[in-house]
Amino acid sequence: MSLSARMIIVLTFVGLLSGSFLATVDLLTKERIELNRQREIEEAILQVVPGTHSSQKLYEEKDLTVYGGKDKKGILVGFAIQASGIGFQGKITLMLGTNPSIKKINSLKVIDQKETPGLGAKINDRESFLKFWDNKDCSNLLTLHKPAVKTQEELSHSEINTITGATISSEAVLNLVNSSLNRLRQLEKEGSLSSEEQDVN
Amino acid sequence: MSTRSIGQEFVKGLWDENPVFRQLLGLCPTLAVTGWVINGLAMGLATSFVLIFSSLVVSSIKKFIPSQVRIASYIVIIATFVTIADRCMAAFFPLISKNLGPYIPLIVVNCIILGRQEAFSSRNSVGRSFIDALGMSSGFVLALLILSSIREVLGVGTFLGLQVMGTWFKPWIIMILPPGAFLTLGILLGIALHIERKTKARK
Amino acid sequence: MTDKIIILQSSPHFKDKDSVPKIMYAVIISLAPAIFTSLYFFRFKALVLLLSCVAACLTTEALFLFLRRKPLHSLLDGSAIITGLLLAMTLPPSLSPELAVIGAVVAMAIGKQVFGGLGNNIFNPALVGRAFLQTAFPVAMTTWIPSVMTKVDILTYATPLGNLKFENAVAQGTLTSLKDLFFGNTGGCLGETSALALILGGLFLLFRRVIDWRIPLGIFLSLTIFTGIFWLANPEKYTSPLFHILAGGFLIGAFFMATDMVTSPITPLGAWVYALGIGLIVGLIRFFGGFPEGVMYSILFMNTFVPLLNRYTRPRILGGRRKG
Repeated sequence: MSLSARMIIVLTFVGLLSGSFLATVDLLTKERIELNRQREIEEAILQVVPGTHSSQKLYEEKDLTVYGGKDKKGILVGFAIQASGIGFQGKITLMLGTNPSIKKINSLKVIDQKETPGLGAKINDRESFLKFWDNKDCSNLLTLHKPAVKTQEELSHSEINTITGATISSEAVLNLVNSSLNRLRQLEKEGSLSSEEQDVN
Repeated sequence: MSTRSIGQEFVKGLWDENPVFRQLLGLCPTLAVTGWVINGLAMGLATSFVLIFSSLVVSSIKKFIPSQVRIASYIVIIATFVTIADRCMAAFFPLISKNLGPYIPLIVVNCIILGRQEAFSSRNSVGRSFIDALGMSSGFVLALLILSSIREVLGVGTFLGLQVMGTWFKPWIIMILPPGAFLTLGILLGIALHIERKTKARK
Repeated sequence: MTDKIIILQSSPHFKDKDSVPKIMYAVIISLAPAIFTSLYFFRFKALVLLLSCVAACLTTEALFLFLRRKPLHSLLDGSAIITGLLLAMTLPPSLSPELAVIGAVVAMAIGKQVFGGLGNNIFNPALVGRAFLQTAFPVAMTTWIPSVMTKVDILTYATPLGNLKFENAVAQGTLTSLKDLFFGNTGGCLGETSALALILGGLFLLFRRVIDWRIPLGIFLSLTIFTGIFWLANPEKYTSPLFHILAGGFLIGAFFMATDMVTSPITPLGAWVYALGIGLIVGLIRFFGGFPEGVMYSILFMNTFVPLLNRYTRPRILGGRRKG
């Protein structure tokens, strides 16, 4: 057998073998990976919209996805917005839960962030940042309280706590929340979120 | 062909030819994912999986591969195992897979793996290649563990997520950031060189 | 400037009883006004930081000299003391002394001794120590307290530059006054608050020819021109060059840090390039960067180019082309 024929045969054989191997692995893991991804989103929705029994995707655009959470009777208990924006070092992805009238924030959850550990990464820390978002009235535009405080009582009702030394990251989260709330209200006005639209997903 | 005993074949990967400290191979993951012990460990084990299986396959089919296409064949074999590792981690350890991000697929270009195929598995028996891969993997895991332990303990005061430093300790955040990786690796390499020189002088 | 002491010596092992203390005194005298103003404005906190930094630098230096079996008397060449003093001058007064000690150890060990000790280091050791602290303890290193002369009783305080960057001070009219910047009655690192004290010390060093006049002048020129262009274009958004000269670490950097003999170029042309680069990067970081202050990073950055600058600006020997 000539050398070039051997080269072609060997490479083809190696490629075929590896391809079929990978196809099997893909078959075996695909479902689970998809399941993991869905479970992550569902868990996040349940955390920010308590009382959710089932959730469905109501609207999707670049960097913004709106989910509706419903209780057992099928009544809307709140919206969950997954939004992404630029932080100090990279993309921040949040899950924000509101009540059905979009007047109150249930809570905020950081899904993904690349901020500086120990500083901006504290946007994922309950004690110094996230707890100040719980049950926040959001009928007015939210603003940042500087310098950082320790308890909820020190903030006025439309104020959010800053992280010491990480003004930029705190501001990034605040702006992301404010803009996605505005977008959500706009979408609701347009009727793009009507809860009659069953089984969008 | 290697003339070492089986024991020596394994032990050389731990120190004399340690991929990180002695050969300076695979520095990219060594620097990038060693901020936390769990990430370092997962990276080390994933790399070990790929290295061991690639060595087994390459050493068993070495006779059939013409030398002109050997690198291409090795890379395909390595990439196959890397993809398997990547998919399995995403399926069964989603959290770690998310933490390590692109560094799992990037095992393909880890020079330790291709280096061992080229330097060892393509010239030695299956058994010997297996022992060699096992030794090199252990050396790599060891290096990642040392580096990530230093960085996590100093950088956040924890080890595998457990608090080990007292409340008096103020974490050195720099240690879990990229500069901390370079500083720690540099100091460790300096120490490794120093030990090497000392033992040579004694001989 | 720190290492001028050594370079002036004909031999590192030979101790001339006269010249070494003389130059060391020159440097310490030049730092004295800034040290006194820091003691005046920040009292006991400043004293503790200065002492702990100097002590830690001396101890680390001694330990390394011992480990490397070098004569211990070179400990007295003054470089360790001056590194300690300079490091302390760049720390916020509220920093706890144990963190300052970590910085001092890093400055001497990683900034200087791993490169082979005095004369071989690429980066200014005091700034290496500070850069380490800044990244390791970002919150502690950016928590400022007002000087004891400020009547207002508050716990945290913004530096003039932090105020400018994060609080939108130009628009709100809350910019620190030039008079406070000049005398030092403001927040900031120990040694950077008082422009007057630093200028006095710097002029003394220039007068004694301990430092190369091109470096402070070049940094001054490039920062003035850079900030001046933006200020003239849009005075509502950008602050005047005078503010940028007086605020932050500019003066201590230009007079005491960038002029370090070991880590600055030896040729006149090299010194100009180096100095202009520092001023430009300071301006860029202050206007467009994520940090309010950029003096430390710009000096460290230009330090990396010093070997290259020395190589390409070396005067040609005998009849070679004059072009650097």
